Amino acid sequence: MAVVTVPGAGVRGERRRGMGFAGRNALTGYLLLVPVLLVLLGLVAYPFFYAIYISFTNRVVGIAGEWVGLANFRYLVGQPSFQRAVTNTVTLVVVTGLAKLVIGLGLALLLNERFRGRGLFRSLVLLPWAMPGFVAFLVWRLLFLPIGGGVNLLLQQVGLLDGVIDWLGQRSTALPAVMVATVWRGFPFWCISFLAALQNVPTELYEAARIDGASAWQRFLAVTLPAIRPVVLTVALLSSIWTANSFENIWIMTQGGPSDATMVFPVLAYFGMQTQRLGEAAAVSVALVPALLILVFIVTALMRDEE
Amino acid sequence: MAAVQPIGRANRSWSPVLRRVALYATLALVALAIVFPVYWMVTISLKLPREIYRLPGLWPQAPTLENYRELIVERGFLINIRNSLVVAGATTLASVGMSTLAAFSIVRFRYRFKGLVGRLILFAYLTPTSLLFIPLSVIVARLQLGDTLYGLVIVYLTFSVPLSTWLLIGYFRGVPAELEEQAMVDGTTRLGAMLRILLPLSLPGLAAVGIFTFTAAWNELLLALIFITNENRRTVPLGLQYLITGDVFLWGPIMAGAVLSALPVIVLYFLAQRYMVQGLTAGSVKG
Repeated sequence: MAVVTVPGAGVRGERRRGMGFAGRNALTGYLLLVPVLLVLLGLVAYPFFYAIYISFTNRVVGIAGEWVGLANFRYLVGQPSFQRAVTNTVTLVVVTGLAKLVIGLGLALLLNERFRGRGLFRSLVLLPWAMPGFVAFLVWRLLFLPIGGGVNLLLQQVGLLDGVIDWLGQRSTALPAVMVATVWRGFPFWCISFLAALQNVPTELYEAARIDGASAWQRFLAVTLPAIRPVVLTVALLSSIWTANSFENIWIMTQGGPSDATMVFPVLAYFGMQTQRLGEAAAVSVALVPALLILVFIVTALMRDEE
Repeated sequence: MAAVQPIGRANRSWSPVLRRVALYATLALVALAIVFPVYWMVTISLKLPREIYRLPGLWPQAPTLENYRELIVERGFLINIRNSLVVAGATTLASVGMSTLAAFSIVRFRYRFKGLVGRLILFAYLTPTSLLFIPLSVIVARLQLGDTLYGLVIVYLTFSVPLSTWLLIGYFRGVPAELEEQAMVDGTTRLGAMLRILLPLSLPGLAAVGIFTFTAAWNELLLALIFITNENRRTVPLGLQYLITGDVFLWGPIMAGAVLSALPVIVLYFLAQRYMVQGLTAGSVKG
Protein backbone atom coordinates (compact mmCIF):
# COMPACT_ATOMS: atom_id res chain seq x y z
CA MET A 1 0.00 0.00 0.00
CA ALA A 2 1.33 3.35 -0.93
CA VAL A 3 1.31 4.71 2.55
CA VAL A 4 2.84 8.14 2.87
CA THR A 5 4.68 7.94 -0.39
CA VAL A 6 8.30 8.69 0.23
CA PRO A 7 9.64 9.96 -3.07
CA GLY A 8 13.09 8.45 -2.77
CA ALA A 9 13.76 10.59 0.25
CA GLY A 10 15.31 10.09 3.58
CA VAL A 11 16.59 6.59 3.29
CA ARG A 12 20.06 7.42 2.06
CA GLY A 13 20.36 10.46 4.28
CA GLU A 14 19.16 8.64 7.35
CA ARG A 15 21.95 6.15 7.07
CA ARG A 16 24.57 8.81 6.58
CA ARG A 17 23.35 10.86 9.50
CA GLY A 18 23.86 9.96 13.09
CA MET A 19 27.37 8.65 12.68
CA GLY A 20 29.96 10.41 14.78
CA PHE A 21 28.01 12.42 17.29
CA ALA A 22 25.31 9.80 17.68
CA GLY A 23 25.16 10.04 21.45
CA ARG A 24 24.42 13.74 21.65
CA ASN A 25 21.97 13.35 18.80
CA ALA A 26 20.04 10.67 20.58
CA LEU A 27 19.72 12.88 23.64
CA THR A 28 18.27 15.75 21.57
CA GLY A 29 15.96 13.24 19.92
CA TYR A 30 14.66 12.04 23.26
CA LEU A 31 14.20 15.57 24.56
CA LEU A 32 12.07 16.51 21.55
CA LEU A 33 9.81 13.56 22.34
CA VAL A 34 9.16 14.55 25.94
CA PRO A 35 5.98 16.66 25.55
CA VAL A 36 4.23 14.13 23.33
CA LEU A 37 5.36 11.22 25.50
CA LEU A 38 3.99 12.96 28.59
CA VAL A 39 0.61 13.31 26.91
CA LEU A 40 0.61 9.75 25.61
CA LEU A 41 1.60 8.24 28.92
CA GLY A 42 -0.36 10.57 31.18
CA LEU A 43 -3.54 11.08 29.17
CA VAL A 44 -3.81 7.88 27.15
CA ALA A 45 -1.80 4.99 28.61
CA TYR A 46 -2.52 5.78 32.26
CA PRO A 47 -6.29 6.26 31.76
CA PHE A 48 -6.36 3.10 29.64
CA PHE A 49 -5.02 0.93 32.46
CA TYR A 50 -6.94 2.96 35.01
CA ALA A 51 -10.17 2.15 33.13
CA ILE A 52 -9.34 -1.53 33.36
CA TYR A 53 -8.63 -1.19 37.07
CA ILE A 54 -11.88 0.72 37.75
CA SER A 55 -13.86 -1.96 35.93
CA PHE A 56 -12.76 -4.44 38.61
CA THR A 57 -13.95 -2.20 41.47
CA ASN A 58 -17.31 -1.02 42.74
CA ARG A 59 -16.24 2.59 42.47
CA VAL A 60 -18.92 5.29 42.50
CA VAL A 61 -18.39 9.02 41.98
CA GLY A 62 -16.52 10.38 44.98
CA ILE A 63 -15.74 7.02 46.60
CA ALA A 64 -12.77 4.95 45.51
CA GLY A 65 -14.51 1.60 45.92
CA GLU A 66 -13.12 -1.87 46.48
CA TRP A 67 -11.83 -4.64 44.30
CA VAL A 68 -14.76 -6.83 43.28
CA GLY A 69 -13.11 -9.05 40.71
CA LEU A 70 -15.34 -9.95 37.80
CA ALA A 71 -18.56 -8.96 39.57
CA ASN A 72 -19.25 -6.00 37.25
CA PHE A 73 -18.80 -8.13 34.17
CA ARG A 74 -20.95 -10.91 35.58
CA TYR A 75 -23.64 -8.36 36.35
CA LEU A 76 -23.43 -6.85 32.84
CA VAL A 77 -23.69 -10.17 31.04
CA GLY A 78 -27.10 -10.65 32.66
CA GLN A 79 -28.34 -7.19 31.64
CA PRO A 80 -30.64 -7.06 28.60
CA SER A 81 -29.30 -3.62 27.63
CA PHE A 82 -25.75 -4.99 27.59
CA GLN A 83 -26.81 -7.98 25.52
CA ARG A 84 -28.47 -5.58 23.08
CA ALA A 85 -25.27 -3.55 22.94
CA VAL A 86 -23.30 -6.66 21.99
CA THR A 87 -25.62 -7.76 19.20
CA ASN A 88 -26.18 -4.20 17.98
CA THR A 89 -22.45 -3.50 17.81
CA VAL A 90 -21.77 -6.68 15.86
CA THR A 91 -24.67 -5.90 13.49
CA LEU A 92 -23.58 -2.30 13.12
CA VAL A 93 -19.95 -3.13 12.38
CA VAL A 94 -20.67 -6.01 9.99
CA VAL A 95 -23.60 -4.54 8.06
CA THR A 96 -22.27 -1.00 7.72
CA GLY A 97 -18.82 -2.41 6.96
CA LEU A 98 -20.14 -4.52 4.10
CA ALA A 99 -22.26 -1.66 2.79
CA LYS A 100 -19.33 0.74 2.89
CA LEU A 101 -17.11 -1.84 1.20
CA VAL A 102 -19.54 -2.40 -1.66
CA ILE A 103 -20.43 1.27 -2.15
CA GLY A 104 -16.89 2.50 -1.57
CA LEU A 105 -15.24 0.00 -3.89
CA GLY A 106 -17.89 0.29 -6.59
CA LEU A 107 -17.71 4.05 -6.56
CA ALA A 108 -13.92 4.05 -6.48
CA LEU A 109 -13.86 1.85 -9.58
CA LEU A 110 -16.27 4.24 -11.31
CA LEU A 111 -14.29 7.30 -10.28
CA ASN A 112 -11.14 5.67 -11.58
CA GLU A 113 -12.59 5.63 -15.10
CA ARG A 114 -12.32 8.64 -17.33
CA PHE A 115 -15.40 10.76 -17.76
CA ARG A 116 -16.41 14.37 -17.82
CA GLY A 117 -16.92 15.95 -14.42
CA ARG A 118 -14.77 13.37 -12.67
CA GLY A 119 -12.83 15.92 -10.63
CA LEU A 120 -16.03 17.56 -9.46
CA PHE A 121 -17.52 14.23 -8.49
CA ARG A 122 -14.43 13.21 -6.54
CA SER A 123 -14.83 16.36 -4.45
CA LEU A 124 -18.55 15.78 -4.03
CA VAL A 125 -17.94 12.33 -2.58
CA LEU A 126 -15.98 13.91 0.26
CA LEU A 127 -18.92 16.06 1.35
CA PRO A 128 -20.56 13.68 3.87
CA TRP A 129 -17.21 13.05 5.43
CA ALA A 130 -16.20 16.72 5.56
CA MET A 131 -19.35 17.48 7.52
CA PRO A 132 -18.96 17.33 11.28
CA GLY A 133 -20.37 14.03 12.56
CA PHE A 134 -22.79 15.64 14.96
CA VAL A 135 -24.19 17.79 12.12
CA ALA A 136 -24.58 14.80 9.81
CA PHE A 137 -26.47 12.80 12.44
CA LEU A 138 -28.63 15.76 13.45
CA VAL A 139 -29.62 16.11 9.81
CA TRP A 140 -30.40 12.39 9.53
CA ARG A 141 -32.48 12.50 12.68
CA LEU A 142 -34.47 15.27 11.07
CA LEU A 143 -34.69 13.37 7.78
CA PHE A 144 -36.21 10.36 9.54
CA LEU A 145 -38.91 12.38 11.34
CA PRO A 146 -42.39 10.97 10.70
CA ILE A 147 -43.80 14.40 9.89
CA GLY A 148 -41.61 17.01 8.32
CA GLY A 149 -38.85 14.45 7.62
CA GLY A 150 -37.37 14.29 4.17
CA VAL A 151 -37.25 10.50 3.86
CA ASN A 152 -41.00 9.99 4.23
CA LEU A 153 -41.68 12.96 2.00
CA LEU A 154 -39.37 11.69 -0.73
CA LEU A 155 -40.88 8.19 -0.57
CA GLN A 156 -44.40 9.66 -0.72
CA GLN A 157 -43.56 11.80 -3.72
CA VAL A 158 -42.10 8.84 -5.60
CA GLY A 159 -45.17 6.84 -4.67
CA LEU A 160 -43.39 4.20 -2.59
CA LEU A 161 -45.05 5.15 0.67
CA ASP A 162 -48.59 5.76 1.77
CA GLY A 163 -48.92 7.36 5.20
CA VAL A 164 -45.95 7.86 7.52
CA ILE A 165 -43.24 5.75 9.12
CA ASP A 166 -41.68 6.75 12.43
CA TRP A 167 -38.29 5.40 11.44
CA LEU A 168 -36.41 6.17 14.64
CA GLY A 169 -39.38 5.67 16.93
CA GLN A 170 -40.08 1.99 16.36
CA ARG A 171 -37.85 -0.91 17.25
CA SER A 172 -37.83 -2.60 13.87
CA THR A 173 -36.59 0.38 11.85
CA ALA A 174 -34.46 2.34 14.34
CA LEU A 175 -31.22 0.39 13.91
CA PRO A 176 -31.46 0.17 10.11
CA ALA A 177 -32.10 3.93 9.99
CA VAL A 178 -29.05 4.63 12.14
CA MET A 179 -27.04 2.33 9.88
CA VAL A 180 -28.11 4.25 6.78
CA ALA A 181 -26.85 7.46 8.36
CA THR A 182 -23.63 5.76 9.50
CA VAL A 183 -22.95 4.45 6.01
CA TRP A 184 -23.72 7.84 4.47
CA ARG A 185 -21.21 9.53 6.70
CA GLY A 186 -18.58 6.77 6.51
CA PHE A 187 -18.38 5.59 2.90
CA PRO A 188 -16.26 8.50 1.56
CA PHE A 189 -13.33 7.39 3.72
CA TRP A 190 -13.46 3.94 2.09
CA CYS A 191 -14.04 5.31 -1.39
CA ILE A 192 -11.18 7.82 -1.34
CA SER A 193 -8.75 5.33 0.20
CA PHE A 194 -9.64 2.73 -2.44
CA LEU A 195 -9.38 5.29 -5.21
CA ALA A 196 -5.88 6.27 -4.11
CA ALA A 197 -4.93 2.58 -4.03
CA LEU A 198 -6.41 1.97 -7.48
CA GLN A 199 -4.35 4.81 -8.91
CA ASN A 200 -1.21 3.06 -7.73
CA VAL A 201 -1.92 -0.18 -9.59
CA PRO A 202 0.58 -0.29 -12.47
CA THR A 203 -1.15 -0.02 -15.86
CA GLU A 204 1.19 -2.64 -17.32
CA LEU A 205 -0.44 -5.32 -15.19
CA TYR A 206 -3.78 -4.64 -16.85
CA GLU A 207 -2.17 -4.62 -20.28
CA ALA A 208 -0.50 -7.96 -19.60
CA ALA A 209 -3.75 -9.46 -18.35
CA ARG A 210 -5.58 -8.12 -21.37
CA ILE A 211 -3.03 -9.65 -23.74
CA ASP A 212 -3.50 -12.96 -21.94
CA GLY A 213 -7.18 -12.67 -22.78
CA ALA A 214 -8.51 -12.06 -19.29
CA SER A 215 -12.05 -10.71 -19.08
CA ALA A 216 -12.85 -7.56 -17.13
CA TRP A 217 -14.04 -9.63 -14.18
CA GLN A 218 -10.95 -11.85 -14.31
CA ARG A 219 -8.73 -8.78 -14.43
CA PHE A 220 -10.52 -7.39 -11.40
CA LEU A 221 -9.96 -10.63 -9.48
CA ALA A 222 -6.40 -11.24 -10.65
CA VAL A 223 -4.97 -7.72 -10.79
CA THR A 224 -7.10 -5.13 -8.99
CA LEU A 225 -8.10 -7.07 -5.93
CA PRO A 226 -4.65 -8.39 -4.94
CA ALA A 227 -3.16 -4.94 -5.53
CA ILE A 228 -5.59 -3.12 -3.26
CA ARG A 229 -6.05 -5.89 -0.71
CA PRO A 230 -3.81 -4.36 2.00
CA VAL A 231 -5.67 -1.05 1.73
CA VAL A 232 -9.04 -2.76 1.90
CA LEU A 233 -7.95 -4.65 5.00
CA THR A 234 -6.51 -1.62 6.75
CA VAL A 235 -9.53 0.54 5.99
CA ALA A 236 -11.95 -2.19 7.06
CA LEU A 237 -10.16 -2.67 10.37
CA LEU A 238 -9.82 1.04 11.11
CA SER A 239 -13.44 1.61 10.26
CA SER A 240 -14.52 -1.34 12.43
CA ILE A 241 -12.67 0.11 15.40
CA TRP A 242 -14.30 3.51 14.89
CA THR A 243 -17.78 2.14 14.24
CA ALA A 244 -17.71 -0.16 17.25
CA ASN A 245 -16.83 2.81 19.42
CA SER A 246 -18.92 5.49 17.80
CA PHE A 247 -21.04 7.46 20.20
CA GLU A 248 -22.49 10.42 18.38
CA ASN A 249 -24.39 8.58 15.65
CA ILE A 250 -26.48 6.69 18.21
CA TRP A 251 -26.54 9.41 20.83
CA ILE A 252 -27.81 12.11 18.52
CA MET A 253 -30.27 9.98 16.57
CA THR A 254 -31.82 7.68 19.19
CA GLN A 255 -29.90 7.79 22.50
CA GLY A 256 -29.94 4.00 22.32
CA GLY A 257 -33.73 3.76 22.13
CA PRO A 258 -36.49 2.91 21.58
CA SER A 259 -36.18 0.51 24.54
CA ASP A 260 -32.52 -0.35 23.84
CA ALA A 261 -33.16 -1.20 20.18
CA THR A 262 -30.08 0.80 19.20
CA MET A 263 -28.05 0.51 22.41
CA VAL A 264 -24.26 0.39 21.95
CA PHE A 265 -21.30 0.25 24.32
CA PRO A 266 -20.34 3.94 24.47
CA VAL A 267 -23.95 5.06 25.08
CA LEU A 268 -24.42 2.41 27.75
CA ALA A 269 -21.16 3.46 29.41
CA TYR A 270 -22.29 7.09 29.28
CA PHE A 271 -25.61 6.21 30.93
CA GLY A 272 -23.72 4.18 33.50
CA MET A 273 -21.58 7.16 34.29
CA GLN A 274 -24.63 9.36 34.74
CA THR A 275 -25.89 6.99 37.41
CA GLN A 276 -22.51 7.54 39.11
CA ARG A 277 -21.64 3.83 39.16
CA LEU A 278 -18.22 4.15 37.59
CA GLY A 279 -17.19 0.52 38.12
CA GLU A 280 -20.01 -0.83 36.00
CA ALA A 281 -19.71 1.96 33.46
CA ALA A 282 -16.00 1.28 33.04
CA ALA A 283 -16.72 -2.43 32.70
CA VAL A 284 -18.97 -1.66 29.72
CA SER A 285 -16.16 0.02 27.79
CA VAL A 286 -13.54 -2.45 28.99
CA ALA A 287 -15.68 -5.35 27.74
CA LEU A 288 -14.80 -4.18 24.24
CA VAL A 289 -11.06 -4.11 24.89
CA PRO A 290 -10.18 -7.71 23.94
CA ALA A 291 -11.86 -7.36 20.54
CA LEU A 292 -10.33 -3.92 20.16
CA LEU A 293 -6.83 -5.16 20.96
CA ILE A 294 -7.07 -7.91 18.37
CA LEU A 295 -8.08 -5.38 15.73
CA VAL A 296 -5.39 -2.92 16.81
CA PHE A 297 -2.66 -5.55 16.68
CA ILE A 298 -3.66 -6.55 13.17
CA VAL A 299 -3.77 -2.90 12.01
CA THR A 300 -0.39 -2.20 13.58
CA ALA A 301 1.13 -5.22 11.90
CA LEU A 302 -0.36 -4.22 8.55
CA MET A 303 0.85 -0.64 8.81
CA ARG A 304 4.33 -1.73 9.82
CA ASP A 305 4.52 -4.11 6.87
CA GLU A 306 3.95 -1.23 4.55
CA GLU A 307 6.80 0.85 5.89
CA MET B 1 -1.33 9.85 -12.40
CA ALA B 2 -1.81 6.85 -14.59
CA ALA B 3 -5.39 6.57 -15.71
CA VAL B 4 -6.19 2.94 -15.33
CA GLN B 5 -9.32 1.53 -16.86
CA PRO B 6 -9.99 -1.57 -14.88
CA ILE B 7 -13.41 -2.58 -16.12
CA GLY B 8 -13.42 -0.57 -19.29
CA ARG B 9 -13.28 -1.57 -22.89
CA ALA B 10 -13.20 -5.35 -22.98
CA ASN B 11 -16.74 -5.64 -21.74
CA ARG B 12 -18.03 -6.27 -25.25
CA SER B 13 -21.56 -7.18 -24.30
CA TRP B 14 -22.34 -3.53 -23.49
CA SER B 15 -22.29 -0.89 -26.14
CA PRO B 16 -20.22 2.19 -25.26
CA VAL B 17 -23.28 4.42 -25.27
CA LEU B 18 -25.16 2.16 -22.91
CA ARG B 19 -22.12 2.04 -20.64
CA ARG B 20 -22.01 5.84 -20.56
CA VAL B 21 -25.70 6.06 -19.74
CA ALA B 22 -25.35 3.49 -16.95
CA LEU B 23 -22.32 5.32 -15.58
CA TYR B 24 -24.01 8.70 -15.46
CA ALA B 25 -27.25 7.25 -14.11
CA THR B 26 -25.36 5.63 -11.25
CA LEU B 27 -23.43 8.81 -10.58
CA ALA B 28 -26.63 10.85 -10.59
CA LEU B 29 -28.16 8.52 -8.03
CA VAL B 30 -25.08 8.72 -5.81
CA ALA B 31 -25.01 12.50 -6.16
CA LEU B 32 -28.65 12.68 -5.10
CA ALA B 33 -27.96 10.51 -2.04
CA ILE B 34 -25.04 12.72 -1.07
CA VAL B 35 -26.66 16.06 -1.71
CA PHE B 36 -30.22 15.48 -0.50
CA PRO B 37 -29.44 15.52 3.26
CA VAL B 38 -27.32 18.63 2.83
CA TYR B 39 -30.07 20.27 0.80
CA TRP B 40 -32.61 19.33 3.47
CA MET B 41 -30.46 20.85 6.19
CA VAL B 42 -30.22 24.15 4.34
CA THR B 43 -33.90 24.39 3.38
CA ILE B 44 -35.19 23.52 6.86
CA SER B 45 -32.93 26.21 8.27
CA LEU B 46 -34.80 28.67 6.04
CA LYS B 47 -38.32 27.52 6.96
CA LEU B 48 -40.67 28.56 9.73
CA PRO B 49 -42.22 25.82 11.92
CA ARG B 50 -45.60 25.91 10.19
CA GLU B 51 -43.92 25.19 6.89
CA ILE B 52 -41.76 22.44 8.38
CA TYR B 53 -44.61 20.48 9.94
CA ARG B 54 -47.91 21.50 8.43
CA LEU B 55 -47.02 22.06 4.82
CA PRO B 56 -44.01 19.83 4.32
CA GLY B 57 -42.59 20.17 0.86
CA LEU B 58 -39.35 19.66 -1.00
CA TRP B 59 -38.95 23.36 -1.79
CA PRO B 60 -39.13 26.22 0.71
CA GLN B 61 -42.16 28.44 0.02
CA ALA B 62 -41.23 31.48 2.04
CA PRO B 63 -37.52 31.38 2.86
CA THR B 64 -36.60 33.40 5.94
CA LEU B 65 -33.56 34.00 8.12
CA GLU B 66 -35.73 34.02 11.25
CA ASN B 67 -34.20 30.72 12.51
CA TYR B 68 -30.71 32.19 12.35
CA ARG B 69 -31.89 35.24 14.27
CA GLU B 70 -33.53 33.09 16.92
CA LEU B 71 -30.45 30.88 17.24
CA ILE B 72 -28.04 33.76 17.61
CA VAL B 73 -30.11 36.31 19.51
CA GLU B 74 -32.30 34.13 21.73
CA ARG B 75 -30.21 30.99 22.08
CA GLY B 76 -26.84 32.70 22.40
CA PHE B 77 -25.19 30.56 19.75
CA LEU B 78 -22.30 33.01 19.44
CA ILE B 79 -21.17 31.98 22.92
CA ASN B 80 -21.03 28.36 21.73
CA ILE B 81 -19.02 29.42 18.71
CA ARG B 82 -16.62 31.43 20.83
CA ASN B 83 -16.10 28.52 23.23
CA SER B 84 -15.50 26.11 20.36
CA LEU B 85 -13.03 28.51 18.73
CA VAL B 86 -11.10 28.85 21.98
CA VAL B 87 -11.03 25.12 22.71
CA ALA B 88 -10.30 23.97 19.16
CA GLY B 89 -7.73 26.75 18.66
CA ALA B 90 -5.86 26.00 21.88
CA THR B 91 -5.99 22.26 21.26
CA THR B 92 -4.59 22.74 17.77
CA LEU B 93 -1.76 25.04 18.83
CA ALA B 94 -0.73 22.80 21.69
CA SER B 95 -0.87 19.53 19.84
CA VAL B 96 0.64 20.68 16.54
CA GLY B 97 3.46 22.34 18.51
CA MET B 98 4.27 19.21 20.49
CA SER B 99 3.76 16.92 17.51
CA THR B 100 6.12 18.90 15.32
CA LEU B 101 8.96 18.31 17.75
CA ALA B 102 8.12 14.64 18.21
CA ALA B 103 7.63 13.92 14.51
CA PHE B 104 10.90 15.73 13.72
CA SER B 105 12.64 13.59 16.30
CA ILE B 106 11.15 10.34 15.00
CA VAL B 107 11.82 11.04 11.33
CA ARG B 108 15.28 12.62 11.56
CA PHE B 109 17.02 11.17 14.60
CA ARG B 110 18.44 7.77 15.32
CA TYR B 111 18.08 6.23 18.74
CA ARG B 112 16.89 3.11 20.48
CA PHE B 113 13.23 2.45 21.24
CA LYS B 114 12.13 4.46 18.24
CA GLY B 115 9.98 1.59 17.05
CA LEU B 116 8.39 1.41 20.46
CA VAL B 117 7.56 5.12 20.44
CA GLY B 118 6.06 4.81 16.97
CA ARG B 119 3.92 1.91 18.11
CA LEU B 120 2.79 3.83 21.19
CA ILE B 121 1.63 6.70 18.98
CA LEU B 122 -0.30 4.36 16.69
CA PHE B 123 -1.88 2.60 19.69
CA ALA B 124 -2.87 5.92 21.23
CA TYR B 125 -4.32 7.01 17.91
CA LEU B 126 -6.47 3.87 17.76
CA THR B 127 -7.59 4.02 21.39
CA PRO B 128 -11.20 5.18 21.34
CA THR B 129 -12.37 8.10 23.44
CA SER B 130 -15.26 5.96 24.65
CA LEU B 131 -12.77 3.84 26.57
CA LEU B 132 -10.99 6.77 28.18
CA PHE B 133 -13.77 9.08 29.28
CA ILE B 134 -14.49 7.43 32.62
CA PRO B 135 -10.91 7.42 33.95
CA LEU B 136 -10.41 10.89 32.46
CA SER B 137 -13.40 12.15 34.41
CA VAL B 138 -11.79 10.90 37.62
CA ILE B 139 -8.46 12.49 36.70
CA VAL B 140 -10.01 15.82 35.71
CA ALA B 141 -12.05 15.92 38.91
CA ARG B 142 -8.88 15.26 40.89
CA LEU B 143 -7.14 18.15 39.12
CA GLN B 144 -10.22 20.30 39.77
CA LEU B 145 -10.49 21.16 36.10
CA GLY B 146 -14.08 19.94 35.67
CA ASP B 147 -16.45 22.26 33.81
CA THR B 148 -13.68 24.50 32.48
CA LEU B 149 -12.56 25.09 28.90
CA TYR B 150 -9.03 24.53 30.18
CA GLY B 151 -9.89 21.02 31.29
CA LEU B 152 -11.59 20.33 27.98
CA VAL B 153 -8.45 21.33 26.08
CA ILE B 154 -6.41 18.97 28.22
CA VAL B 155 -8.68 15.98 27.62
CA TYR B 156 -8.84 16.82 23.91
CA LEU B 157 -5.09 16.26 23.77
CA THR B 158 -5.82 12.54 24.21
CA PHE B 159 -7.02 12.29 20.63
CA SER B 160 -5.45 15.35 19.01
CA VAL B 161 -1.81 14.64 19.90
CA PRO B 162 -1.73 11.09 18.49
CA LEU B 163 -3.62 12.30 15.41
CA SER B 164 -1.35 15.22 14.62
CA THR B 165 1.86 13.35 15.45
CA TRP B 166 0.85 10.43 13.25
CA LEU B 167 0.01 12.72 10.35
CA LEU B 168 3.13 14.86 10.72
CA ILE B 169 5.41 11.83 10.72
CA GLY B 170 3.91 11.03 7.34
CA TYR B 171 4.51 14.52 5.97
CA PHE B 172 8.03 14.89 7.30
CA ARG B 173 9.00 11.54 5.77
CA GLY B 174 8.14 13.03 2.39
CA VAL B 175 10.57 15.94 2.80
CA PRO B 176 14.12 15.09 1.64
CA ALA B 177 16.69 15.28 4.41
CA GLU B 178 19.47 16.49 2.07
CA LEU B 179 18.64 20.18 2.39
CA GLU B 180 18.79 20.06 6.16
CA GLU B 181 22.07 18.14 6.00
CA GLN B 182 23.53 20.80 3.75
CA ALA B 183 22.47 23.53 6.15
CA MET B 184 24.12 21.59 8.95
CA VAL B 185 27.31 21.27 6.97
CA ASP B 186 27.14 25.06 6.66
CA GLY B 187 27.11 25.27 10.43
CA THR B 188 23.46 25.34 11.40
CA THR B 189 22.32 23.28 14.36
CA ARG B 190 19.77 20.49 13.96
CA LEU B 191 16.99 22.56 15.46
CA GLY B 192 18.00 25.50 13.31
CA ALA B 193 17.73 23.26 10.26
CA MET B 194 14.30 22.19 11.39
CA LEU B 195 13.14 25.77 11.89
CA ARG B 196 14.69 27.20 8.74
CA ILE B 197 14.32 24.32 6.28
CA LEU B 198 11.97 21.55 7.31
CA LEU B 199 9.14 23.67 8.69
CA PRO B 200 8.92 26.15 5.79
CA LEU B 201 9.00 23.21 3.36
CA SER B 202 6.23 21.45 5.27
CA LEU B 203 4.02 24.50 5.61
CA PRO B 204 1.15 23.06 3.53
CA GLY B 205 1.35 19.82 5.46
CA LEU B 206 1.41 21.67 8.78
CA ALA B 207 -1.61 23.67 7.68
CA ALA B 208 -3.46 20.48 6.73
CA VAL B 209 -2.60 18.80 10.02
CA GLY B 210 -3.70 21.95 11.81
CA ILE B 211 -7.01 21.83 9.97
CA PHE B 212 -7.63 18.17 10.84
CA THR B 213 -6.78 18.73 14.47
CA PHE B 214 -8.94 21.81 14.61
CA THR B 215 -11.96 20.11 13.04
CA ALA B 216 -11.54 17.02 15.23
CA ALA B 217 -11.74 19.26 18.30
CA TRP B 218 -14.51 21.41 16.79
CA ASN B 219 -16.61 18.29 16.13
CA GLU B 220 -16.06 16.52 19.45
CA LEU B 221 -19.22 15.74 21.42
CA LEU B 222 -18.74 12.95 23.98
CA LEU B 223 -16.03 14.53 26.12
CA ALA B 224 -17.70 17.94 25.99
CA LEU B 225 -20.94 16.32 27.14
CA ILE B 226 -19.17 14.81 30.13
CA PHE B 227 -16.94 17.66 31.18
CA ILE B 228 -19.01 20.79 30.53
CA THR B 229 -22.18 21.52 32.46
CA ASN B 230 -22.25 25.31 32.64
CA GLU B 231 -24.39 26.76 29.88
CA ASN B 232 -21.89 29.54 29.21
CA ARG B 233 -19.11 27.07 28.51
CA ARG B 234 -20.94 24.85 26.04
CA THR B 235 -19.24 24.25 22.73
CA VAL B 236 -21.07 24.18 19.39
CA PRO B 237 -21.95 20.44 19.29
CA LEU B 238 -23.03 20.64 22.91
CA GLY B 239 -25.22 23.70 22.33
CA LEU B 240 -26.97 22.01 19.43
CA GLN B 241 -27.44 18.69 21.17
CA TYR B 242 -29.13 20.47 24.08
CA LEU B 243 -31.56 21.95 21.58
CA ILE B 244 -32.70 18.44 20.57
CA THR B 245 -32.94 17.06 24.07
CA GLY B 246 -35.11 19.97 25.20
CA ASP B 247 -38.88 19.69 25.47
CA VAL B 248 -39.70 21.39 22.21
CA PHE B 249 -37.89 20.43 19.05
CA LEU B 250 -36.56 23.56 17.42
CA TRP B 251 -35.63 22.05 14.11
CA GLY B 252 -35.40 25.39 12.31
CA PRO B 253 -32.81 26.89 14.67
CA ILE B 254 -31.08 23.52 15.04
CA MET B 255 -30.55 23.31 11.29
CA ALA B 256 -29.46 26.94 11.22
CA GLY B 257 -26.84 25.96 13.79
CA ALA B 258 -25.95 22.89 11.73
CA VAL B 259 -25.33 25.07 8.68
CA LEU B 260 -23.26 27.57 10.65
CA SER B 261 -21.11 24.92 12.30
CA ALA B 262 -20.65 22.76 9.19
CA LEU B 263 -19.83 25.55 6.77
CA PRO B 264 -16.39 26.58 8.08
CA VAL B 265 -15.37 22.95 8.55
CA ILE B 266 -16.43 21.98 5.04
CA VAL B 267 -14.56 24.94 3.55
CA LEU B 268 -11.41 24.04 5.50
CA TYR B 269 -11.67 20.41 4.46
CA PHE B 270 -11.89 21.20 0.81
CA LEU B 271 -8.92 23.54 1.14
CA ALA B 272 -6.92 20.74 2.72
CA GLN B 273 -8.36 18.09 0.44
CA ARG B 274 -5.20 17.37 -1.51
CA TYR B 275 -3.22 16.76 1.63
CA MET B 276 -6.06 14.94 3.23
CA VAL B 277 -6.07 12.31 0.52
CA GLN B 278 -2.38 11.75 1.18
CA GLY B 279 -3.06 11.39 4.87
CA LEU B 280 -5.95 9.13 4.06
CA THR B 281 -3.87 6.61 2.23
CA ALA B 282 -1.85 6.42 5.37
CA GLY B 283 -5.15 5.42 6.91
CA SER B 284 -4.70 8.13 9.37
CA VAL B 285 -7.64 10.47 9.61
CA LYS B 286 -10.48 9.52 11.86
CA GLY B 287 -13.77 9.47 10.07
